[in-house]
Amino acid sequence: MPKKILVVDDEEIVRNYVKRALASRGYEIAEAVNGASAITAAEKEEFDAVICDLKMPDLRGEEVIKKLKVLRPAAKIIVITGSVSNIANPIATGVEVEGFLIKPFGIGELREMLEKVI
Amino acid sequence: MNHKAKILIVDDDAQISEMISEALMSKGYEISDAFDGKQAVAKVSAEKFDLVVMDIQMPVMDGITAMGEIKKIDPAIEVIIATGHGTMGTAVQSMRKGAFDYIHKPFEITELFTVVEKALAKRKFNDITKAIFSTIKSEELLRIVIDSVTGVLKADESLLVLLDKAERPYIAISDGLEDDQRKSSRLEVCGRVLKRLAADGFEPVVLIEDPSGDKRFADIKHLSDVQFAMMLPLMETGGLIGLININRSQPEEYFSENDLQKAKIFGSLVNLALKNANLYKQLQETQSQLIQAEKMSALGQLAGGLAHEINNPLSGILGLTQLVLETTPPGTQTHQDLTDIEKAVFRCKKIITSLLSFARQEKTQMEPVNISETIEETLVLCARQMELKHIKIVKRFGESLPLVNADFQQLMQVFLNLLTNAKDAMPDGGTITISTLPPSPDPDGRRMITVSFADTGAGIPREILDRVFDPFFTTKPAGKGTGLGLSVCLGILNRHNGTISAESEAGKGSVFTLRLPV
Repeated sequence: MPKKILVVDDEEIVRNYVKRALASRGYEIAEAVNGASAITAAEKEEFDAVICDLKMPDLRGEEVIKKLKVLRPAAKIIVITGSVSNIANPIATGVEVEGFLIKPFGIGELREMLEKVI
Repeated sequence: MNHKAKILIVDDDAQISEMISEALMSKGYEISDAFDGKQAVAKVSAEKFDLVVMDIQMPVMDGITAMGEIKKIDPAIEVIIATGHGTMGTAVQSMRKGAFDYIHKPFEITELFTVVEKALAKRKFNDITKAIFSTIKSEELLRIVIDSVTGVLKADESLLVLLDKAERPYIAISDGLEDDQRKSSRLEVCGRVLKRLAADGFEPVVLIEDPSGDKRFADIKHLSDVQFAMMLPLMETGGLIGLININRSQPEEYFSENDLQKAKIFGSLVNLALKNANLYKQLQETQSQLIQAEKMSALGQLAGGLAHEINNPLSGILGLTQLVLETTPPGTQTHQDLTDIEKAVFRCKKIITSLLSFARQEKTQMEPVNISETIEETLVLCARQMELKHIKIVKRFGESLPLVNADFQQLMQVFLNLLTNAKDAMPDGGTITISTLPPSPDPDGRRMITVSFADTGAGIPREILDRVFDPFFTTKPAGKGTGLGLSVCLGILNRHNGTISAESEAGKGSVFTLRLPV
């Protein structure tokens, strides 16, 4: 059974390469373009990991992560963010995440991080 | 005040008026006349006069009333009252109303000349005073001082000698001195007088007669044309800052008691004005610091937002490049091109990271920090690089420095930036001297410790010295520096309520000085 990964980012170019970098390693990928559709997707099925942006037009990444944690407590969360000062935020807001990557990140870093958390 | 003095003669007796006019014209003054008080008031409001010589009893408007009106129009104008009907009473009355002096008709022409000359001298003195206090730029002020002091004291040459930061005297401005040999002889005399004053204490005026015959100065050449030298020491809050030297070259033309009085007043005016100019300079510096801080903060916010916007597409470029690289055979041109793109992205990432660390608005983690230890820790990080570049580190740490309240990490970043810059300024090796000094008060009375990093590199040209803290300003080759290192340092020092400044002399290296409150 391939591991299932949800990629949540409003930037298409980011979803695009993350998806392809992981798909070529045998992961099964689902995409969400914003916070609300990420929650809808998680309601429908189980994911092994969610790769989630923090700054999205509808919901704050922190809120999305909190809801995902309730919905799918087993899913590992990797935060991807373009803003360094956001790194501290999930921790400060009491949201625990398994990993984070600062944009721009390479495909090698991404694959390593994912292997480490699941 | 080099123009011909303009004098208004006011008398209803045409004969007297003409007589005074002719006498004064023969002395080179510019003359105008009026025949009653009202005419006089009209003339003064139409053009500028230096002096009014006026009768008291005149038709239409009397002299004392006219003087009141004239002083309202031009408070700086001097008035001499001339009266044939005068009793001591009217004379006293006119003096009380603000006349400079009075003369009784009939008067000797020489008497008139003396009074007029005195009045004009006072007027000139007032003008200088006004000029001194109307300018706040110290160079302009000093130029006015030196230009006028030669004239007022009827001297042949005058010079302003100031002490530089190393307490060495230099000629800031001179008047009547063209020849370098004479200049340096005067400077030597002034330097010796300053040294003595610094040791023995302040004196308002120092007089030297025939300095070339004085054994204290006998060894100085090119001094024989100075007959009488007067020195006015200049003081500021910090102590002696220099002196004004006024020289006369004719024998017998010694400085009189009157000259001394004038000079003393002059000296105290200049002292006061220098203080003003200094305060103004401090104000300007504070203002420019504020503006700089504002600029930084605005730029910081912009940078934060910008970085986030750029990082998304940049992440895409990096990821997609690497994806394509995976399926491209190594050794091909495409593989090489993609590798170059990847490298360029990493460079962008580095720039943005520095930009963000400069922009970071989050709370600084303050704790008591030992400065010497922080420097040592930083040196551990870059010791190897320094060794490779043949750079010697000299440590001059002050003893038992107090701890400062600071963010250890951020201070390390500042030190590392300064050390890296110093290293890059010395591609062929050199010395970095790191000094720390115990607390001393800053202009606001805060106790600040000082840390300085001096290199022996090429130095920073004067014209760009005040731009080195500007974001994105760099002298390093393209791709070598982000131009953010020193802005980051400035940002960090601002957050610590400290200061950072740069000094440099071409060919002699640069010194970066940090001041941190204890």
